Amino acid sequence: MTLEKFTRIIDLHGTETARWTKTLRGECESFVANNVEARMLLNQQWQVEESMAKLEVPSFPGLETRVLNQSLPERNRSFIEEVMNWLIPEESFGKQAWRSAMAACIPLVFGIVLGNYFSFGIGIEDDGFQYWDDELTMLSLTDYTETNF
Amino acid sequence: MQAVCVGSRSAYQRLVKRHLKSISHYAYRLLGNQKDTQDITQEVFLRLWINAQKWDSEKSKLTTWLHRIAHNLCIDYLRKHTRIQTQDSFDDEAAHSPANNDESTEEINDKTKLLREALSALPENQRSALSLCHYQGFSNKEAAAIMNISVKALESAIARAKRSLREKLTINS
Repeated sequence: MTLEKFTRIIDLHGTETARWTKTLRGECESFVANNVEARMLLNQQWQVEESMAKLEVPSFPGLETRVLNQSLPERNRSFIEEVMNWLIPEESFGKQAWRSAMAACIPLVFGIVLGNYFSFGIGIEDDGFQYWDDELTMLSLTDYTETNF
Repeated sequence: MQAVCVGSRSAYQRLVKRHLKSISHYAYRLLGNQKDTQDITQEVFLRLWINAQKWDSEKSKLTTWLHRIAHNLCIDYLRKHTRIQTQDSFDDEAAHSPANNDESTEEINDKTKLLREALSALPENQRSALSLCHYQGFSNKEAAAIMNISVKALESAIARAKRSLREKLTINS
């Protein structure tokens, strides 16, 4: 270990030994124990870090209100975005659950409307007339002579 | 964030409340005065609203992205304005710190003042690197991404900043 190498480690990782590279930690610690310049360097860096920790940022009263109240430009949202925002609103969970249920009903309503107007090639055999013909034929063939009035 | 993308103002407000402190602190550490810090912070959140759709959650965390916006705005600002202004502002802030007759407190105030001066004298990239890693708690990789430099360049900037601060504080004390 040299002083230059140790300085580099201090510059990169600071004075906390736990943050030093594991492989070099032991070597660094013994170097500090045996080298006056290394100890001085460590002490100087410790003072810098202590001062840095005490450096406070002032509070910014009213900044949050200012940011929240600034006028935001309106978004040019696409139709899909509009629909999605309507279906999945952010405002409350109740509305969100309701709109999801609405969204789930959309395919059903769509299917009913389509099914009402289009057959999609599925024919319903209306054999009502044929059925009545059969009924009349059967009635005409029935022997009523055996019936006792 | 997805809600902000589709124009939810309540989601935007929640994001502002969550990130305002760290963004304003970072801007202050770069700019060194309250007025500009407030302007830049306001602009950061305006850009968040306008460019929300550009954020890619797979590429970076939201806080990293916001710090990157703040970093770029601060650097632009610093390049447009003279450094003297920043220096004066730091001095003003220091002068407003509470007065104390206690000798040890005076000594601490002197050290703090010295450190403020030393920090404001650092080049922007070193000040930014130090601020992101030391105060904002970013990893070297994240800080490098915010500053759009390599991790090696970031480590070099941090090392030079710390050495510079150490030298200045040692000489002055």
